[in-house]
Amino acid sequence: MEDSELVHQVIGGNNNAFRFLVSKHQRLVLHVVGRIVQQQDQVEDVCQDVFIKVFKTLKNFRGDSKLSTWIASIAYNTAITHIRKQKRRNELSYNEQPLLLADEQDSGLNQKVLEIEEAHRYLLKLIETLPVHYRTVLTLYHLEEFSYKEIVEITGMPEGTIKSYLNRARTLLKGKIEKVARLEQTNIFADYA
Amino acid sequence: MLDKDNKYYSDKLVNEALKQEPGWFLKDNFADLVAEKAGRNFAWTQYIREFAIYLAAIIGIFVVTAVMALIWFENDWKIWSDFLISNIWLVAGINILALFILFADRVLLRYFLYRAESKKDFAG
Repeated sequence: MEDSELVHQVIGGNNNAFRFLVSKHQRLVLHVVGRIVQQQDQVEDVCQDVFIKVFKTLKNFRGDSKLSTWIASIAYNTAITHIRKQKRRNELSYNEQPLLLADEQDSGLNQKVLEIEEAHRYLLKLIETLPVHYRTVLTLYHLEEFSYKEIVEITGMPEGTIKSYLNRARTLLKGKIEKVARLEQTNIFADYA
Repeated sequence: MLDKDNKYYSDKLVNEALKQEPGWFLKDNFADLVAEKAGRNFAWTQYIREFAIYLAAIIGIFVVTAVMALIWFENDWKIWSDFLISNIWLVAGINILALFILFADRVLLRYFLYRAESKKDFAG
């Protein structure tokens, strides 16, 4: 079903069409919200809020962009608002500024990173320690395969900033994994050779 | 030491990790839950809108009737206002009661029936 047809059906009150829309986009919303909120017990509630907002504001969707881009922007804004509210309540520390990957996290994990699968898990953990905007652009670009232009629409950040965040995040992750390989004095890349 | 190849492999490793699903998950029936919630929201908004239309129509009929009575039949508005002022509590009470009956009939009953029906469907 085309996006415009789907939107038309949902606005008309077709509940099955909305159920289809949710199923189609829930993975995208989960990834965006999960990477920003980072707490499983809150992720589902925020995802629900996102889709209710989508439902209420769908009549404002003009079709200038893809429906997925529009939904991702709602997910991004809802999740950011959620963590800002939490920050105000002092439940969670919200890091707008890039935070340095803490060295103490290495000690426990270094010993485990011996195989590729563990290296992947380690990298996933590292991604979660990156600043919120880094995590968001990484998720949108690599996991959801949005273009730079679409990420600009979703986040409202300038394209240069997005490219810079992507580059810095990748450099941080690569630097970290190479450092681990050196510290371990082992070749975790052996499986690739 | 990492050599040139290892730098290439670290790139590959990071690329793969970035494509991996994060560990977050939603309930299997998430879409059904959200659709049900949205359906209730839609029903409520729709019922409120209909109530507002009914109310506007009733008020409109009263106003038109009053204007006709005052202009064409030359009724004295002073008698009306005196009656309303002297029976203010009775008039207000009847209006509030009528408003509540209309609201209950057009919104509350229909909404609770819809909820009960959708819960039954959801459970079934």
